[in-house]
Amino acid sequence: MTGPRDHQGEMLPDLPGGDTALCAEYVLGLLSAPEAQALEARLESEPALQAEVVYWAEHFADIADTVPEVAPPPAVLQRLELRAFGSARPPFWRQLLPYLVGAVVAATVAWMVNFSGLLNVGPEAPHLYAELRADERGLQLLAHWAPDSETLMVRRDAGDLPEGRSLQIWILPASGTDPIPMGLIVPEQLTEIPVPGALQPLIPGATVAISEEPEGGSPTGAPTGPILASGSLG
Amino acid sequence: MRSVQDEIEDLLARIAMGDRKAFRALYTRTSGKLFGICLRVLRDRAEAEEALQDVYLRIWDKAELYRANGYSPMTWLITIARNIAVDHRRRKHRVPEVGLDLAEYLADGTPGPEALTIIRDAGDRLRQCLLELPSDRASIVQSAYLDGATYKELSEATGVKLNTVRTWLRRSLAQLKECLSR
Repeated sequence: MTGPRDHQGEMLPDLPGGDTALCAEYVLGLLSAPEAQALEARLESEPALQAEVVYWAEHFADIADTVPEVAPPPAVLQRLELRAFGSARPPFWRQLLPYLVGAVVAATVAWMVNFSGLLNVGPEAPHLYAELRADERGLQLLAHWAPDSETLMVRRDAGDLPEGRSLQIWILPASGTDPIPMGLIVPEQLTEIPVPGALQPLIPGATVAISEEPEGGSPTGAPTGPILASGSLG
Repeated sequence: MRSVQDEIEDLLARIAMGDRKAFRALYTRTSGKLFGICLRVLRDRAEAEEALQDVYLRIWDKAELYRANGYSPMTWLITIARNIAVDHRRRKHRVPEVGLDLAEYLADGTPGPEALTIIRDAGDRLRQCLLELPSDRASIVQSAYLDGATYKELSEATGVKLNTVRTWLRRSLAQLKECLSR
């Protein structure tokens, strides 16, 4: 194993313990900033040193293992989830991760082709989401396209629906063609809209919009009331 | 039967993909241990709760980095918890209370009750090796890890010059390594 040894004078000569002690000090957070940076620079090119750091982390974790477990109060998880999920959903690339690192290059390529709209959406297409917020009403909706069940879902997360009016869901294709009416938001439950096969290729990259309409929906087939919220499916 | 390590590794992989259910499951499984560590380092419930939130936010944000560095999954989590709790403690510039305990250990040359518990319960080989060190040196190692004591604080607690404490600790670490690799 690694004993004390010289390494280009990076360590003070009068300190015992060599790299072993240096790595342990690093794990303990005892090094000064310049010392820690110098070690980190070496870690990249010296796997043995990296192994030494892991070695100490593993052994010191045994000390932590002796500390009694204490259940945190339930409010901590609630605050934590608000901080972790509250502001936004995880960045889009994280949802792509399974496709990117799934080791199946073919799947990735198929997905990319799907996403750029060159092929019909296949069974392995990703789920897409759009957050829809109508700030003045405090209305927060989440649209979710589930290609495997061929369903567009809209969930109400916050806010009230206007009395005596209907909220209508529209798809605005990325190609810029007219809004396609998808259906009305069902109060008090998840709105689930089966999407016909012919419309499915239009969904990736499309914008979902919510308009306020007379009860029963737009009489004309195009939005007549104000667009309360919109967001692109990604 | 899958091991706990496999299960946590699997949860981390799912968290890296933004899986909220996996995040909740990991929290349910590990928050008792990680909160215990935060509480031990910070010795204050409110501060430990703050630190615990930061710990899990870091896990949520960085889960995809877990595989990169060769840690076992529990060690990765424990290391994050310990380091964040220590950061919180140092940011407040509080002198670790253990400084006094440590002075006590040093005064009569035997580890205090807490140090003894830790030495008794620690992983077998580490325990054996800590017991081979003089008890005051063993408690310095523990204080550096569990209190996040800096050299300055260790020097104040022991009344020994900073460079001397550093020499002691480094020699102890080299002895520990030598013992652990036997």
